[in-house]
Amino acid sequence: MKLKQKLAFGLWLFAVCASAQTDIWRSDSIQEVVVTGTGTQHLLKDTPVQTEVITQKMLHNYGGKSLEDILAGLTASFAFAEGDMGSQMQLNGLGNSYILILIDGKRIHGDVGGENDLGLIDPHNIEKIEIVKGAQSALYGSDAMAGVINIITKKHTEKGLYADNTTRYGTHNDLRQHNSVAFRVGKLSSQTNFQLQRNDGWQNTTEEYAEATVLTDSKNKTVNQFKNWQIAERITYQLAPNAQLYAEGSYYKKNILRPQNGTHPSCDVYTYDLRYNNASASIGGKWNPGGKKDIITLDVDWNKHAYYYDYTKGTYEYILLKGEEYGALDGEWYSVLMKPGQSKLQSDQQRVMGQLKGIFYLPYNNTLSAGAEYRYDYLKAPDRTETGTASDQTAALYLQDELDIQKWLNITAGLRLVDNRNFGFRLTPKISAMLSVDDFRFRLGWSQGFKTPTVKELHYRYLHVMGSSTFFNIGNTSLDPQTSNYYSANAEYRGRKFTASLTGYLNKLDNMIALVNVSPGEIPAGVTTAYQGDGSSNVQARMYKNMDDARTCGIDVTMSYKPMKGLALNAAYSYLDTKAHLYDEHKDRVNTVVIDGTAHHKWNASAMFSHTFSPNYALGISLSGRGSSKRYYQNNGDGKAFQIWRINTTHDIGNQNKMLAYKLEFGVDNIFNYVDRTMRPYHLGNNTSGTTVYATFSIRLKYGKRVNNHSITTKQKSNYEED
Amino acid sequence: MKKIKSFLVATLAFALVAPVFTACSSDDDNTKENIISEFAVNDQMVAAQKAKSGKDVAVLLVAFGSTWNNAFLAFDKTKAAYEQAFPNADVYVCFSSDICINRASVGENTDDNGNIVKRDYYEPRYLLHAIGAAKYSKIYVQSLQVIPGEEFAAVVASVKKFMNNGYLGDAHLDDAYLAKLADNEAIFLGMPLLNDPDVDVPEVAKQLNSLYASEAQQGVVAFMGHGNPDTYDTFKANVRYQQLEEELQKLNPSYFVGTVDMPDNYKQDVLARMQDKGFNNGKVYLHALMSIAGDHAHNDMAGEGDEYWDASDEESEDNSWFEFFTHKGYNATVPVSGNHPQGLLELSGVLNVWINHTKNAEFLEDAYHSMYPEE
Repeated sequence: MKLKQKLAFGLWLFAVCASAQTDIWRSDSIQEVVVTGTGTQHLLKDTPVQTEVITQKMLHNYGGKSLEDILAGLTASFAFAEGDMGSQMQLNGLGNSYILILIDGKRIHGDVGGENDLGLIDPHNIEKIEIVKGAQSALYGSDAMAGVINIITKKHTEKGLYADNTTRYGTHNDLRQHNSVAFRVGKLSSQTNFQLQRNDGWQNTTEEYAEATVLTDSKNKTVNQFKNWQIAERITYQLAPNAQLYAEGSYYKKNILRPQNGTHPSCDVYTYDLRYNNASASIGGKWNPGGKKDIITLDVDWNKHAYYYDYTKGTYEYILLKGEEYGALDGEWYSVLMKPGQSKLQSDQQRVMGQLKGIFYLPYNNTLSAGAEYRYDYLKAPDRTETGTASDQTAALYLQDELDIQKWLNITAGLRLVDNRNFGFRLTPKISAMLSVDDFRFRLGWSQGFKTPTVKELHYRYLHVMGSSTFFNIGNTSLDPQTSNYYSANAEYRGRKFTASLTGYLNKLDNMIALVNVSPGEIPAGVTTAYQGDGSSNVQARMYKNMDDARTCGIDVTMSYKPMKGLALNAAYSYLDTKAHLYDEHKDRVNTVVIDGTAHHKWNASAMFSHTFSPNYALGISLSGRGSSKRYYQNNGDGKAFQIWRINTTHDIGNQNKMLAYKLEFGVDNIFNYVDRTMRPYHLGNNTSGTTVYATFSIRLKYGKRVNNHSITTKQKSNYEED
Repeated sequence: MKKIKSFLVATLAFALVAPVFTACSSDDDNTKENIISEFAVNDQMVAAQKAKSGKDVAVLLVAFGSTWNNAFLAFDKTKAAYEQAFPNADVYVCFSSDICINRASVGENTDDNGNIVKRDYYEPRYLLHAIGAAKYSKIYVQSLQVIPGEEFAAVVASVKKFMNNGYLGDAHLDDAYLAKLADNEAIFLGMPLLNDPDVDVPEVAKQLNSLYASEAQQGVVAFMGHGNPDTYDTFKANVRYQQLEEELQKLNPSYFVGTVDMPDNYKQDVLARMQDKGFNNGKVYLHALMSIAGDHAHNDMAGEGDEYWDASDEESEDNSWFEFFTHKGYNATVPVSGNHPQGLLELSGVLNVWINHTKNAEFLEDAYHSMYPEE
């Protein structure tokens, strides 16, 4: 019954469970199919590139409210600090700009200050998550120096009508809602998703160090109130048995509402709120030439991520006047009083991407992947760039061959050639080898990464007011591209009841770009008025600069044990050590520093139990814990060590074969009420608010749907992330 | 195959159309209407003042700005002193820092009783426009800067903009009025405090010595100015701090003048010069060489406590002068008046130098660069 329920939620593509309908756990580990490492399908245990998977079963039992929640709770490699602007995420010590987040194989778009807006991802629409560390994939870009997170979404393209609603409500007025409506008529199928996320935010401490004293009545929240919603539509047309077309689009809006009752303008009085608008449109198709296994795909995407200030009080802003309407003042910076209710665009990042990819199954056990990619980035930031706009173009060609030299030895080699308008050509090789001995796998990998400075790193400049700290952040047009060499060694055992994986890695980065403190003299002439800010020395100028070098190294261990049917015990541990060398011009010396926000030890553990009591009721219970040792920072203190535990119960009600089925979920997060009350602006180890409770209700309707996966075999399945 | 072709054509069409999205923009832009309405608000305020006073001369005092209440009070007293010195004039004060205006209007700091003080200040380009719109027949624009550096250059530029009617088409001033102002040589630019190295610097040194001579008898008297970073040391104005130190040392070798932003004249450079002259211990009196005592004076100069001490880097900007000299073995003191260090506008002898600059202000000729044949 469990399996059928899962299918009802959209697992049809993965018939991996077909032969194991009564043993869901086997399907999780033994038969899981992954795609991210090579772009081609492999059973998880046989993938040449080490891949970590968060399965649908884990997602189902964990009951996460957001992607942050899921990644932090179900892996040991991620660390988060939710900021005003988005999520500061780290994967094995490297931050957002080195992490490539894909939704069904496509790059998400838009960042603010290098922080991705993970609200774009609907946690209830995730089928599973695959994580590949290091710049190991030739297909997804060499800029993913930390790794790739591929979010595979749920799809409902069977005949008939499908609809579901999931509503999760919890402490802090936390509401998460997900709705899907999908149908298929003849060759046409449509899926519409809507999601809503909101939270009132919370305040862990009223203490704040500002105005040269400790204030005890700060109104700043630990996490600000926010709300966001998204609507997405996807239409698929089966042109021929071997050809499929799709068109999709989405619109997303997020508001971050900041305290309006503060009394200290230097830290907790805000004269504007923040808003983000994100939109996308794509068109593409997939073709199996001659009806064979070979696949050719073509995708063209347009994305927009715009960021606004919504003024709540009168605010003088330094604005670049642009346009003929300003006459002689065209091109001049001007102080303009923005009024409550008005908005001002801060940045609008747009991107057009085209991708052509082919996978060809050649003789002598070769699988060849080849592709071409073109990307145009456009930044409109009227008051945050010298001229108001900036752009960049990158093209790439890649080639990858997977060769089974022997049954027990696979070599996968890839090359990616990048041509950037400003930085020219660069070839990056990747190679991995896998040795198979019974249920053991041994993998070695080496990959080069190459990342050109982003448009923002080159051109963006703005005054960043973070409570009592004010920074003037400046782009730097003389930056060099970053390069990396990632080495990894992995040993893995995947048996029926027990799996274990041990991975050691070393990631060496040269010319790593970081925002570092600079003396005012380094600020370009002409932008000093903005820099001077409130005239106090509290404004720290920071500029993007190439650090001399950096390296991260560590060990990741994961283990899973299924002592009996319906019970799984999972544990993961990650050890990390980071070091960066930074030239201090002021002091004329090289400083060795730890990368901000990193901790040596992180772990998580969970016990997940599920049992089907009757055709109309199945129970799932998961107890999970996670923790981190002290997080290191160069400024404003280290983050405290923490551990957090959570319990989630799921109740599947109703016969999953019937038209209607229901699910209830109850959970308590942070059972032992851990709260870090370190005063602002010093760093928190974790920004949890303490114990929270939540309940989820889901209803699912299938009308005229046929759930049938028997005819699909693993080999026939297409490159599903494109589906 | 035909279908595939049509799909490829459709995809190509989309690829060509997609970039067009990037060119479109539906973003509301209130910039122009806000500029126009802000001119109107300032114009009305100044017109009301002119109607009330019946005066035909305007004095506009341009300061960088502050958010400290004691600084607001210092600007109030300065305005009152100007009203006394220019009985026929309406006197206005404005801030060139937007953030200071924003924060002053929501109440950045408290008064000495802990009450939040909110003050509205105006922005020079709007206020100057309003003075023009009210058609004052004589206008003095006085810089409240200490040195003729970067901020002063901005004041000069705003006056030039005014005289050239450099406003939006919808907010143009009456050209005939501006021409008359020029013909009558009735627009005056008052120079910063240390404008003339031969006249102002010795005069300010004399005034400071008259106040701090007794301190200089007992130990070192160190002044903390602001200064410009060297990449934009406009008119090479930083040299005024060295000239002032030389003048002061003629009166007493115990005087030193340093800055927070001028290269090679930070607190550690002041210390080195003190040690060169044999001041290795004893008292150090710290004074702000800024028009008002705001953030810099309170935090960078007088900041006291662990939060002002970064032991790993003694010369760090985060370390206050008070803590720096204390850690270097001196007996540092920040003399206060009413709980606060004092700014130069609060010293009547120094304020008079500014007032005299206004009284002796010259008609602003076009090419201001020629006014500064700097060394």
